[in-house]
Amino acid sequence: MNASNDRIAPWTAYVIVGIGALIMLAPFYFMFVFATQSRTEIFSLPPPVWFGDDFLDNLKILTDRLPFWRNLGWSLYVALASTALTLLFCSMGGYAFALFEFRFKNALFALVMGTMLLPSFMNMIPTFMIMDALGWIDQPRALYVPGAASAFGIFLMRQFVTTSIPKDLIEAARMDGCSELSIYARIVLPLLKPALGTLGLITFIASWNNFIGPLIVMRSPENYTLPLALRSLQSPVDTEWGALMTGSAIATIPLVILFILSSRQLIAGLTAGAVK
Amino acid sequence: MNAWGQAATQRRRMAPALMLFACVLIGLPVPAQTALTVAAFPSVDKIVEAAIPAWKKLHPDVDVKVVSRQFADHHTAMTTALSTSFYLPDVMALEVGYVGRFAQGGGLEDLSREPYAIRRYESQYVPYAFQQATSRTGTVVAAPTDIGPGTLLYRTDILARANVTEADLTRTWDSYVDAGIRIKAATGAYLLPHAREMKDILIRTGIKPGEGLYFDKDSRVIVNSPRFVRAFELARKVRQNKLDARVSAWSTEWSEGFKRGTLATQMSGAWLAGHLSNWVAPATKGAWRAAQLPEGAWAAFGGTFFAIARGAPAANKALAWEFIRFMTLDRERQLAAFKSQDAFPALRAAHDDPFVELPIEFLGGQRARLLWREAASHASAVDVHKQDAFASEVIDTELDKVLDHGKDIATALADAERLLAKRARR
Amino acid sequence: MKLPRALQLSPVWTPYVLLSPFVVLFCIFGLFPLAFSLYLAFQTWEPTSGLTAMSFVGLDNFVFSLQDEWFWKSLKNTAWLAVASGVPQHLVAIPLAVFIHNSFVRSRNAVVGAYFLPYITSTVAIAILFSSLFSTDFGLVNAGLRALFGGEPIDWLGRPENIKPAIAMIVFWRYVGFNVVLYLAALQTIPKDLYEAATMDGAGRLQQFFFITLPSLKPMIYFGVTLSVIGGLQLFEEPFILTGGRGGSDQSGMTTAIYLYRMAFDFNDFGAASAMSWLLFFVVVVLTWLTNRAFKPRGGSA
Repeated sequence: MNASNDRIAPWTAYVIVGIGALIMLAPFYFMFVFATQSRTEIFSLPPPVWFGDDFLDNLKILTDRLPFWRNLGWSLYVALASTALTLLFCSMGGYAFALFEFRFKNALFALVMGTMLLPSFMNMIPTFMIMDALGWIDQPRALYVPGAASAFGIFLMRQFVTTSIPKDLIEAARMDGCSELSIYARIVLPLLKPALGTLGLITFIASWNNFIGPLIVMRSPENYTLPLALRSLQSPVDTEWGALMTGSAIATIPLVILFILSSRQLIAGLTAGAVK
Repeated sequence: MNAWGQAATQRRRMAPALMLFACVLIGLPVPAQTALTVAAFPSVDKIVEAAIPAWKKLHPDVDVKVVSRQFADHHTAMTTALSTSFYLPDVMALEVGYVGRFAQGGGLEDLSREPYAIRRYESQYVPYAFQQATSRTGTVVAAPTDIGPGTLLYRTDILARANVTEADLTRTWDSYVDAGIRIKAATGAYLLPHAREMKDILIRTGIKPGEGLYFDKDSRVIVNSPRFVRAFELARKVRQNKLDARVSAWSTEWSEGFKRGTLATQMSGAWLAGHLSNWVAPATKGAWRAAQLPEGAWAAFGGTFFAIARGAPAANKALAWEFIRFMTLDRERQLAAFKSQDAFPALRAAHDDPFVELPIEFLGGQRARLLWREAASHASAVDVHKQDAFASEVIDTELDKVLDHGKDIATALADAERLLAKRARR
Repeated sequence: MKLPRALQLSPVWTPYVLLSPFVVLFCIFGLFPLAFSLYLAFQTWEPTSGLTAMSFVGLDNFVFSLQDEWFWKSLKNTAWLAVASGVPQHLVAIPLAVFIHNSFVRSRNAVVGAYFLPYITSTVAIAILFSSLFSTDFGLVNAGLRALFGGEPIDWLGRPENIKPAIAMIVFWRYVGFNVVLYLAALQTIPKDLYEAATMDGAGRLQQFFFITLPSLKPMIYFGVTLSVIGGLQLFEEPFILTGGRGGSDQSGMTTAIYLYRMAFDFNDFGAASAMSWLLFFVVVVLTWLTNRAFKPRGGSA
C-alpha cells in the first residue's frame, strides 16, 4: 500500500518541472531570436525559430533612433537610487512599526496598507502637479524619490523584523548603553540582510520596468528610461519590431544577471517575510 | 524702418552677442536664447526637425526643441499637460481625432482671434481640414499641416485574374461588393481586410447638416438611421459572402495579407501607399493602383494639426504662431514634408507643384497624387461630439455581434442607441 | 560611534525619527493623490479645459457608474480574469514547489530562476512578444496546437471569447513563478521530522502532502492568495498592451482598471473615472476582507 504511494516517481518530478521550465523560458528564447531578425522576417509565415543575422542592423536602428545607451544609463542610475532610498526608508519605518509603540501606530499602518489597494494610475495627474510644483519635471529624482515610500516595502520589513529580531536583543543593547541610531545601524540592519536583499531586488526590478512614472514626468528623450525609450519605437503605423526586440532583449539582461546573483537572498527574504 | 530703428535693431541684435561675449569672459553659463518647444510624435517629429535649418535662417536666435513621444503617449501627455496647464509645449502637434476632442474643451487658443487671425489664411488651406479644426461655435483651435485624403488601393493583377475592372469596384457600393464576390470566386483573395472598414466609410456618407457622426447638435443619438442601417447591411453582406479577411489594420496578418496577395483592396489615406512601398509589402511594387472611393464617397483618414495651448507661456506665443505659419503656410516646407514623409500638404498652394504630377513607381507609374488632390478638395469635415470615441466603440461592438453572432441589425442599433443616450450629455 | 548626549535619541522619539522620511514622502506622493482623486470623484471635469473647469456634481458620477453597462461588464471581466489566472497559479505553484523542493537540490536555483524570469521582465516586451505568439495565422501558439491536435487556427486576439483565455494564460505565465518562490520558501520552514514521523507511521507521500504540507503552507497560501486577489482585481498592464489599450472586441479584455484609464484619457471624463476607481477600491477591500475571513475564521488563528 505504501510502496505504490511512494512511487510518485522521482522522474515525474523532473519531467513536469522541466516542461514547466521550458514553457517559462520559451518566450524569452523567441525574444532573443526576434532580436536577431529583421522586421519583415519577424512578420512572416512561418515565424523564425532560429537566430538570424540582423542583430547588428537592429542595433544600428536602435541607436540611431534613440540615445539608447544613455537611456540604459538612466535606467541603471534611477534603479540604483530607488533601491538605496527605498531600503533605507522602509527598513527604518519597518523597524519602527515592528518594535516600537507610539500614537496612531495602527491607524497609520492601516492607512499605508490601504494605499496598496488603489490603482496606480489614478495618481497620474496629481503626481504631475506635484512634480511641477517642486520643479522636478524631467529630472530623474522625480522617478526614484516617490517610490521610496513603498507600502509593500514597509510591510515586508515589518514582517521580517517581527519574525527575526527578538525584542530582548534590542532591550539588551539599550541597557548596554547603545544609542538608538546605532542599534538600528549595527544590530537591526545586519539582521535584516535577507529582507534587504529581497526588497532590493524587487525594487530594482520595479524601477527598471517602470513605465507610467517616466511617461508622466520625463520630457526629453535624452532623459528617458528604457521602457519609455523602447515604446517610442512603436507607432500604430511604423513599428520597428526588430529593433524593439533587440532593445527589449538588452533591457532584460541586467535583470537576469542580478537575479542570478541574488536568487538565494530572494528566497530567504520571502521566507521570513511571509511565513508567520 | 528708419535709420534710428535700424540702428536700434542692430543694437538689439548685437546685445545677445555682447552678453554672450561677456559671459564667456566671466565664465558664466551662457544664457539661453529663446527656445520654442514643439511636442510631436513620429513621423511629424522628423518633419519638424527637418525644418529647423530653414527656420534658423529666418530666426537665428530662436532654437526649436522637439519633444517626441509615441503616438498615444504623446496625446496622453498633452491631455495631462492641458489639464494642469503645467509644462505645456509652445507648439503641439495633434492628430485629427484628438483635435476634435480637445476642441470641445477650452484648452487650446482660438486662432481665429487676434493676434493670430487665422481666418485670413483660410482659403489657403484645404477646406475640410480647416473645418476639422473649427468647433461648432466658430473657434479655430488648430492649423492643419497634413491631410489624409481617402483613396481605394487595389491590386490590378488580382482584378485582372477575376476579370473585374476598376469601374466595377467604384461604380456603387453594391457593385464593389459584387466585384468582391467575383474576385473571391476566381482568385480566392479577400476583397478587404475587415467588414468594419465598409461600415466606417458608409456611416460618413449622407450626413445631413447639423448632424455629427453619432449625435446631432442637440446631443440626440442618431445611430438608428438609414445611414447606419445601410452600413451594417453592406458590412453583413461582405461577411456573409466571406469577402473580408477579418484582420485588423497594422496587425501581422494584415501585413502578410498584402505580402501574399490575399487582400485585393484597401480603403485608406493616401499615405498608405508609402507604407506599403516602404515596409509592408515592397515586393508587390507595380501591382497596385489607386482609385477614388466607391460611389463617389469622399473621406479623410488621419491628418495632423499644430495648436497653441491657452496655458502655454505667453511670451512665446507670438513666436509659436510664427512657427506654425512657417510649417503650414510655407510652400517649401509643405513640399519637403510631402516628399520626405509622404505627408500630403494641407496647403493648397503646394498642390500645384510638379511633384504632384510625378508618376509613383509603386503604383505602376500612376500619377495618383492628382487623384488624391481631387479627393482632398471634395472631402468634408464632420461635426465632432465629446462622446464620439465612446460611440465609435459601441457601434463597432454591435457590428461585431451582427457579423459574428447573427444579431438582428435593428436590435443592434437600438441597443447602441440606448447605451449612447445615457452618456450623450456628459 | 557615540553621538554627543544632546543628540542621542530617547526610545520615545526614535520611532518618529525613523518614520519621518517615509511619512513625509507618503503624505506627498501617496496621500495627496488619494485625496485629490476623492475630491475629483465628486466633480465633473473635462481635463483639457484646465483645472478651473471642475464643477461640483455631488454623487452624480457614482450614480452614473453604477448604472453604466460597461462598468459592470468590466467588473465581470476583471473577476473572470482574476479567478482564471489566479486559481491555476496557486494550484500549479504548490505541486511545482513541492517537486522542486524534494527533487532538485543542486540545480534548484537555476530551476527557480527559470520560473521567476517572467516575473521580472518588462510588460512592454512581454506584450509585444505575446501579440506575435498569439497571432492567428503566424503565431507559434497556434502552430504548436495544430501540430499537437490539428484543426483550425484559433483567432485569439480577434474573438471576444478567446481574448480572455489568452490574457489569463499570459498572467498565469507571468506570476506562477513568483508563487513557486513563495511556496518554496515556505516549504523550507517545515521541519523534516514531521515527515519522518509520518513515514514511520506508514503514511504515503500523497497523504503526507495533504495532511502535513498543505496545512503548514496555510499562512503562505493566505499571503499568496491575498496578493493574487488584489493584483487580479487591479489587472491592467497585460490586457492593456495585448488589446492595444482598448480592451478588445466586445470589450471582453477590458478590466475595470483599463476602463478607468479609458474613461480618463480616451473619453475625457475624469470625474467618472475617479468615482469608478473608488468603487473598485471598495470591491477590493471587501474581497480582501472575505479572503481574510476564509483563511482566519473568527476566533481562531491559522
